[in-house]
Amino acid sequence: MNQAPISRRDFLRWVRDGLLTISGLLGLAGLLRFLAYQSQPAPQTEFILAAPADYAPGSRTLLPQVPALLVRTPAGFSAYSLICPHLGCTVDPQSDGFICPCHGSRFDLQGQLTHGPAARSLTTLRLETAPDGKLHLFTN
Amino acid sequence: MRRLIVVASALLLLVLIGITWQASRRVKPIALVPSLTGKVEYCLTCHSNLPEISKSHPVKTFGCVICHGGQPLALDATLAHSTLRGGANPADYSVVQANCGGSNCHSGSATTYSDDIQRSTTSIQDTYAGAIATIRYTFGAQPSLRALYGTSAVQDPSSTSGITSLQMFDPKKETNPAVQAFGQNCLTCHLSAVPSQAGSRYDHFTGCAACHTPTQAADLTSVNTKTATLVHQLTTAIPYTQCDACHNRGNYDLRSMTFQPRSDTPNTRLQDYYQPIAQFTSCEYNLDCVDCHTRSEAMGNGSLYSREKDIQYIQCQTCHGTLTQLPLTRTLSDPNDLAFRLAQLNPVVDLQLGDTILVTDQGEPLWNTRVLPDGTYELVGKVTGQVFNFKPVMGSGCLQDPNDQSSAACHQCHSVQR
Repeated sequence: MNQAPISRRDFLRWVRDGLLTISGLLGLAGLLRFLAYQSQPAPQTEFILAAPADYAPGSRTLLPQVPALLVRTPAGFSAYSLICPHLGCTVDPQSDGFICPCHGSRFDLQGQLTHGPAARSLTTLRLETAPDGKLHLFTN
Repeated sequence: MRRLIVVASALLLLVLIGITWQASRRVKPIALVPSLTGKVEYCLTCHSNLPEISKSHPVKTFGCVICHGGQPLALDATLAHSTLRGGANPADYSVVQANCGGSNCHSGSATTYSDDIQRSTTSIQDTYAGAIATIRYTFGAQPSLRALYGTSAVQDPSSTSGITSLQMFDPKKETNPAVQAFGQNCLTCHLSAVPSQAGSRYDHFTGCAACHTPTQAADLTSVNTKTATLVHQLTTAIPYTQCDACHNRGNYDLRSMTFQPRSDTPNTRLQDYYQPIAQFTSCEYNLDCVDCHTRSEAMGNGSLYSREKDIQYIQCQTCHGTLTQLPLTRTLSDPNDLAFRLAQLNPVVDLQLGDTILVTDQGEPLWNTRVLPDGTYELVGKVTGQVFNFKPVMGSGCLQDPNDQSSAACHQCHSVQR
């Protein structure tokens, strides 16, 4: 069966339609990329920890993702931020407390300032037991 | 008309392909949110290969912009660097207050040992008052060696040295040709001088970086060294070569008032050390300058002085004592003692409460020393970490007059021949 030759008009229409389709797809992809752009997420301020029973009485648990220290005493739970209140470096735990590797501020095991240059103790963080039965730690 | 639409469609596609290609070439930004500022910056996109500048300034805490300025969100180098403060030397004194200042940083109070900027910008290394006074006195422009001028006008109403202000030295106001020539040729050797051209031999030899950012070149005194290799580093372990770069690079010829660079190529530490004509004991050239000279001597104590010697008080007897007196010591009982702060910055010694260290007659701790139980002393090199043991002069066979403790007197017996 003989096929009718493509007319010049049809050819130009196909080329036009093809070009416009590809352009449309590219434009659409750009638009989707623009709409899907996520700006820098706000820093996390709530951290979900394990259930209280998972922390042994008298335990001191480092939470590097915060960074913080979770302490369980007979009186309950407490948590200290490991961010040095001087300039914001992360303090290193020692056997007798914490030391800031940047400028040498020292804190005792309860996070209390023992010597500067920091001017105050480590910040105590808020802890709550949520309905899911887990401890939630807040840094804000 | 149909053909026109096809051409327009082709052009539109080309433009879109170009935009897509351009977007695909764009670098993916590396975001950093320093804990100190909490604001995102993209500097690490290009500068992630830089080493941490010091353990006191971790990039995770400080970021880059707080010290350097610049546009934190720009990914184009020209735009990102357009608002840098001080270019590659943020510690240049013209911008140091903005970059390194702040009450928690380096322009705090003397009681927290954070008044570094106030002290160093009134120090003799910045004011150059001693050289200016000496030249003006030598050529009859002033009646005594007491400093009247500095490289800039400085006030110090609470001066303990008796000099409460310095006027700005202006060579144009001088009438003596030699003093004018000094002003023209010899004002590049102080910490607030106009920085040398980037990449030149003395690039970065201004501001805090002049001392605290050591160059990699070991032979800066050599005439063969044309450029200094800079490193992204701040340190208090300052090698003697860094001091030599200014203090032993040559001499000024007073007849022509021009700088004559040192022409020799020293091969040993002894030959390389400060001032080739001077005499040295072995401890003087085996130690680095900072092993003995204190921060107040180098950076000043906040007061204005006429001469370097007025603020330089370390002598042989500071560590060795005399025939009749042991050196001054202090047993560390206060955890806030300056000694701990300094040792923390350069932990070559593990200083502990209860340790007894040597101190200067001004009470400054020589924190890298320790009195040993047998009554001898130990000094640890701040740069080399090398341990030196030494004894007091008291009880030795030294014949020196206890009342004459100049270094020249000690050199009579203890100098090393070159």
